[in-house]
Amino acid sequence: MIGERYTGWWFVGPAGLVMALILGFPAIAAVLGSVNLGWGSTKPFGIDSYLRLWGDAEFRQSLWNTAIFVVSVVSLHFLLGMSVALLLDRPLRMRWLFRVIAILPWTMPDVIGGIIFRFIFDTLYGGINALGLAIGWIDQPVDWLGRPGLALLSVILAEAWRGYPYVMLILLAGLQAVPREQYEAAKMDGAGAWQTFVYVTLPNLRTMIVIALVLDTVWECRLFGMIFGMTGGGPGQATQNLTLLVYRHYFQFFDTAYASSIAVVLAAILLVAAMPYLRVAIRRAE
Amino acid sequence: MPRLRIAWVMTYVALLAMALYNLLPFFWMVSSSLKTDIEVTTFPATLLPRALTFEAYHRIWAQEGFLQYFVNSLKVSGATALLSATLGVFAAYGFSRFDFRGKRALMLAFLASQMLPGVLLVGPYFKMLSLANLFDTHFGLILAQTTITLPFSVWMLKGYIDTLPVEIDQAAMIDGASRWQCLFYCVLPNILPGLVATMIFAFLLAWGDLLWALCLINTPEKQTMTLGITNLVGQFRVLWSDVMAATVIGCMIPAALYLMLQRYLVQGVAGSSVKG
Repeated sequence: MIGERYTGWWFVGPAGLVMALILGFPAIAAVLGSVNLGWGSTKPFGIDSYLRLWGDAEFRQSLWNTAIFVVSVVSLHFLLGMSVALLLDRPLRMRWLFRVIAILPWTMPDVIGGIIFRFIFDTLYGGINALGLAIGWIDQPVDWLGRPGLALLSVILAEAWRGYPYVMLILLAGLQAVPREQYEAAKMDGAGAWQTFVYVTLPNLRTMIVIALVLDTVWECRLFGMIFGMTGGGPGQATQNLTLLVYRHYFQFFDTAYASSIAVVLAAILLVAAMPYLRVAIRRAE
Repeated sequence: MPRLRIAWVMTYVALLAMALYNLLPFFWMVSSSLKTDIEVTTFPATLLPRALTFEAYHRIWAQEGFLQYFVNSLKVSGATALLSATLGVFAAYGFSRFDFRGKRALMLAFLASQMLPGVLLVGPYFKMLSLANLFDTHFGLILAQTTITLPFSVWMLKGYIDTLPVEIDQAAMIDGASRWQCLFYCVLPNILPGLVATMIFAFLLAWGDLLWALCLINTPEKQTMTLGITNLVGQFRVLWSDVMAATVIGCMIPAALYLMLQRYLVQGVAGSSVKG
């Protein structure tokens, strides 16, 4: 670190200016827009948009959908990610090959994943029903994406598949940083595999687990392409999350103030959820 | 000894199960893209194509605009990566090497901005671009993608520059190098792999985006790959063999780039919040 009081600004300045213009400005405009102070707003200042949120059944459903979706998906990501990370942390033959396969789902753009799973869950031509019929789990094709509860489940399963390598990679980075001597010591003390995991691996992994869970939660809360490609939020509003709801209010109903107020609520949720990560990251950076 | 062998067998069985789980949707996509349009709509679905055919790929490539979407995506994603890497390198160097007033707040702003949802910005952004006559242009879309890619590029590059000892800079400056020369001749060559990794991540984030393209692009000839593929499904009767051929093409570039990046993935992902 070299202590020149203002020189640093010459380097940071351009990026800072660009961010202020393309991110800071629209973000502030959105907040102002939500209280009728945005461009072209004809209504007087007021928090009527936020009051409307309280009574809006569609908003409540989207919030609820988001909550169920995020909790289920992040839990599944954690289970799958941890299992695969533990497998890949071992000395293996052809480890590179398994690693390549392990990250493949995550390389798929989310909207493309949504479209592929829309086909996989298709009632007549989809793979899931063909498989279920062949094994005998079901005796007639199930309309996965046409029934509200099943549609949400299908979207959760699809995103669980696509997103888990991200969590796996963060946990794997954590696992590889665990000092090997601690494993040796645990072995000498006669600890079993489970005990080693609980008393050596988990405590060492704590920060990485927090980072993985927080970042994954943020990404899943604002997921757009996957759901847009798979169900478009339907049937009805059964799979519509807050992101899709904001999109619809902006570009289908052109209700700028109301859309902004939902987006502001979503942004607030995300910033609060991200707090633990922000704290860790800032502390590490200094 | 037998216990060890059982553990070994179980590890590989678990790994094979993982491979099967991960690959099945890919397999389904490729297999369906190689079926005839009649076979793809038979009930119940077949696992492997009865007659292998590349018709779907021919049709998709011949379809008006598809090549254009591909080129558009390359252009927008490439420019986004270049823009965020250029601005990012300077900012990262500033954050890594200097102590200045407001540094902590600015770093926090860059970090926290990565947590904001795109839909918060999309409405005001739409109006900004319309006022500046940039709506429905690739330049507007590139700027929009930069809102996502620039903050993480800065953080990722800062991580790489932090690993270089400050003594490198000091030695160069004693020899009479300016700050800029330091950055270009001492720091940049040493973080080149990290710079390339950062750019590829930015490229991939832009490649996978749907929301911005959907909201900011109107003209069919300017659409990106993801948007073009999404519109294929929006039509009345979905030709699944063609759609699957399109998704295979849409997945190929990201998959190839990620696999090349494998080595940097773990550190890059852990160091910043990147996701495609």
